Amino acid sequence: MQRRLANVNIWTVTGIAIIAALFLPNITIVMGLFTPSNENWEHMKEFVLWSFIKNSLILVVVTAGATIFIGLSLAWLIAQYQFPFRRFLKWALILPLSIPPFIGAYTYHGIFNFTGVIQTTLRDRFGMDLNPAYFDIMNLPGAIFIYTVFLYPYVYTITQVFLSQQSASLIESTRLLGKGPWRTFFQVVVPISRISIIAGASLVILEVLNDYGVVKYYGIQTFTTGIFQTWFGLGDIETSIKLAASLMGFVIVILLVEKVLRGRRQYSYSSTKVRPLPLIKLTGWKAIAAASYCLSILSLGFFIPIAQLIEWTILTFGTIPLDEFMSYMRNSIVVAGLSATAIIVFALIVGNFARLVQGRFAKLLPKLTVLGYSIPGAVIAVAVVTAFVALDEFLAPLYQLAGMNTTLVLSVSIILLITAYIIRFFAIGYNSIETGYDKIGTDFQDASRLLGAGLTRTFFKVDMPMMKGAIISGFILVFIDVLKEIPLTLILRPFNFDTLSTKAFQYASDEKIMEASQASLLIVGISALAIVIFYKFLEKEMD
Amino acid sequence: MFVSIENLSFSYSNTKATALDNFSLQIKKGEVISILGRSGSGKSTVLRLLAGLEKPSVGKVSIQDEILVDDRTFVQPEKRGIGMVFQDYALFPHLTVADNILFGLFRMKRSAKQTRLQEVLELVELQGYEKRYPHQLSGGQQQRVAIARALAPNPHLLLLDEPFSNLDAELQEKIRKELRDILKRANITSIFVTHDEKDAHILADRIVKIKNGQTDFIGRPCDLIDVYRQEKQSLPAASEEKELIYT
Amino acid sequence: MNKLIYLVLTFLLLVLTACGSNDTSAPATEGASEEAEESTEVNLYTARHYDVDDELYKKFEEETGIKVNLIKGEADELLERIKREGDGTEADLFLTADAGRLFRAKDDGLLQAVSSDLLNEQIPENFRDTDQMWYGLTKRARVLVYNKETVKPEELSTYEALTEDEWNGRVLIRGSENVYNQSLLASFIELNGEEQAKEWASGLVNNFARDPEGGDRDQAKAIAAGIGDVAIMNSYYFGQMLNSEDPAEVEVAESLGLFFPNQETDGTHVNVSGAGVVKSSQNKENAIKLLEFLSAPEAQGTFAEANYEYPVNEEVEPSELLKSWGEFKEQDISLSALGENNAKSILIFNEVGWK
Repeated sequence: MQRRLANVNIWTVTGIAIIAALFLPNITIVMGLFTPSNENWEHMKEFVLWSFIKNSLILVVVTAGATIFIGLSLAWLIAQYQFPFRRFLKWALILPLSIPPFIGAYTYHGIFNFTGVIQTTLRDRFGMDLNPAYFDIMNLPGAIFIYTVFLYPYVYTITQVFLSQQSASLIESTRLLGKGPWRTFFQVVVPISRISIIAGASLVILEVLNDYGVVKYYGIQTFTTGIFQTWFGLGDIETSIKLAASLMGFVIVILLVEKVLRGRRQYSYSSTKVRPLPLIKLTGWKAIAAASYCLSILSLGFFIPIAQLIEWTILTFGTIPLDEFMSYMRNSIVVAGLSATAIIVFALIVGNFARLVQGRFAKLLPKLTVLGYSIPGAVIAVAVVTAFVALDEFLAPLYQLAGMNTTLVLSVSIILLITAYIIRFFAIGYNSIETGYDKIGTDFQDASRLLGAGLTRTFFKVDMPMMKGAIISGFILVFIDVLKEIPLTLILRPFNFDTLSTKAFQYASDEKIMEASQASLLIVGISALAIVIFYKFLEKEMD
Repeated sequence: MFVSIENLSFSYSNTKATALDNFSLQIKKGEVISILGRSGSGKSTVLRLLAGLEKPSVGKVSIQDEILVDDRTFVQPEKRGIGMVFQDYALFPHLTVADNILFGLFRMKRSAKQTRLQEVLELVELQGYEKRYPHQLSGGQQQRVAIARALAPNPHLLLLDEPFSNLDAELQEKIRKELRDILKRANITSIFVTHDEKDAHILADRIVKIKNGQTDFIGRPCDLIDVYRQEKQSLPAASEEKELIYT
Repeated sequence: MNKLIYLVLTFLLLVLTACGSNDTSAPATEGASEEAEESTEVNLYTARHYDVDDELYKKFEEETGIKVNLIKGEADELLERIKREGDGTEADLFLTADAGRLFRAKDDGLLQAVSSDLLNEQIPENFRDTDQMWYGLTKRARVLVYNKETVKPEELSTYEALTEDEWNGRVLIRGSENVYNQSLLASFIELNGEEQAKEWASGLVNNFARDPEGGDRDQAKAIAAGIGDVAIMNSYYFGQMLNSEDPAEVEVAESLGLFFPNQETDGTHVNVSGAGVVKSSQNKENAIKLLEFLSAPEAQGTFAEANYEYPVNEEVEPSELLKSWGEFKEQDISLSALGENNAKSILIFNEVGWK
């Protein structure tokens, strides 16, 4: 705690308070590790646990590899080369993030299954009778495909921003040392973008680990399936929490690895004269190859599923009541907006705290809040409800004073839901903000303080304006994620509260994917709009 | 004495070695001090300790008998009235030249602010550049803005961290003279850190040489030359000279 | 600056409470105080997500003036929420689509016994909980669906027969995480004991045409695709496919036949949708009224018509489509057994490797 003067001030106090509040509900889960195991646990271990772990590992490792490959290659093309559609692709490549993976999974199954467009076209138009098993995507490779095409933007965005801010001289000097573009890529670009690759890939990994919708539908048994099976099927929440806690342990290992890989390097450049990479113009077949590579990824992750959703919307239009859709839309936007705002504010405070304190333990503290991201939503929900009911009991005398005739106030309000979102998605916002802080380093802060500005003034006058990009990107990412979120919203919402995603899920879970298309399209539309606005803003900033 | 530094010691939390050991120095008002040393010698640590960006393990610093740090007191950097020019200038990229300079003047009245802005701009000869952004300036101009910004709030003491390291050789020559003029005109007590003896000789009234966290020499520039002459006779220090250039 | 943070926080709180109250009509603040007088709402936690249900609630509101407040979710998660909310819970009525879950709610002490003449009259005894803790509202049968070209209905007989060698590599059914499968196996445990149930499950796994994947509809499509010849699925999914907006789905459904198994033996497996009044309900009377409304002929007719479910109310005729499938003999077991044996069935699934 030597270096940066961990004095007690408003930043350290609120920072620790936020970390504690975000972490507390997770303690219920951590405690699960220490309960004695019962016969269900033994049964799980004997028959299924191993295959759950194996499937989860395959999913995580292959998906991480594939998203890194796609995300990084796209980022490199966009950051370094000029080719047709580049300006459009630069932001459009983020769009797949706007499609909830479970909707993507249903949609792709709809496309590939026996009555789907591909097989029917081949049968009816071309008279081909191919073995339907070739088109089966409801298996492990299929799930990997779904996660990859809808989650690669996490790697792409973070790496792309990083690469386009790299000093040109670094790349140019390797070229001058006689390395071709491929060797430059593997020997320089990959190593220097290591941090952003890891940051993006860890988001992908956490997202895959806690997802339930895709694997449940595709019939793949993963660790998360195990958690739900013991909880719902065996009615044994203790064992399921034990499983969740083991999952958390796994995530902690990932976080530590990331920390170790990041090491002690400071990634800041305070010099005001970073010359951006000049774009190399591709011509001929190379330009065509680059453009078609990017466009085909984008088609898989966006255009194809969207086209299918639009077709279904047309087919089912008028068969489902649409009069409430305005209120679903408003609910979606309000909760997503509020949660994203709260998360960014908290992340700024915690991030500043992490920057102000030194010492290994204190530095790791904020990382704890990331754990919420790894736990399946339903498990977080239980933890949050438990915490809120306790809080309500504690506040009960106050409610009596206010003349209310009930014991549960907070736990039946929308604050419950928003709190759960904050715990769940803090990692996403914090990741952006942390990178933002890393990038500006501490020199500007030092300079500001020596000019007489205190920490708080420095924060508003120097840190915030310099981090505008990070703040907005964090906000958009969280906003989109909340918009797509399903298990928490389903369980924790107050009475009569529907959002677009609960509506989409309601139909999809009942195997009415066509009817789910309209709500899904609205989710995608709003998210896409948010991405476009964000991009336009960034572009203006660059000028 | 105007600035008094007594027995300052410091070590970074992540290393065991002491970065600075028992450093003492007395500075008269208006004096220009150069701290000379290789990279890693602990010379920058002195500046950070004076500025309040680090907390010494022991030691005492006071300016005009007001204690900034000792075993009981620690004045936060923003309350010390010390200006600093960073090695890479740390000009706020989102603010214009004028706003960068005005940053430290937020407690002044509006009219006073404008007067002071013009004064310091004149001092560094950058009138007319108010509306520019840092990235629209040359390296030398950026440095002068950084100096103007540090001087604007009238600090008791100005610290400069490797003021010439980011400039090319030709420019260095010119800027050294400019800087000397500016410092003298402003009549400000200042400490600058450098690895280049030439800088020290031209600019400093006194030189402090630091080696491995220990004070190696304190004296006038001409005295340092004598020391070197003796050293050179006793041991071949070619490797050291080479490093001096590259650090 | 501190002031600013507080201002922002207070603002956020205000917005939150504002949204909270206007959207949700704050059942919390009104409920108890009005109990003495006439309460005008009922809070429903439901695991059924059908649009037709919403229409019925609206109709109920119009007829009685009682507002139905809804939280829709997954059955187990809703149960967990009620449990965690304890005595303070707002829930009055818990509605779900599986008797096993109703049993679990009762077993966990979350429900209370209620009765009314009307309920007893409208719902036959075997679809009511023995302790009057919950009432069944609709029936769904787990039937066989087969490829009309490769399978003659005469070849089909019972669930058990599907484990025989002639069906090797021809049977389709979804994964074991699905509650309908769990209840199916639970009914066999009740009828034949654990040993035989396990034999059945392992025999069926041997005859699987592929690893289980997808939902009930996907099994029907897999028959059309030629992956297997016979599938076990819920009756109403088949009805939905026949009336799908997607012509390709209709075509698939029309190429398939429906068969009620075990007619000569124990009868076809039947599960229910049903509801029970939550123990600490503050609007108990309204909850009963809603139960009565949902089991009355009108609502029962709507369930049957719009959702292809079988009504429990014997006065009500099933829909034309359902009638065209003919009458069938139902499994005659206590529905509570589905819940009692649920955990056992999951353990068996795991042991025999039914994914």
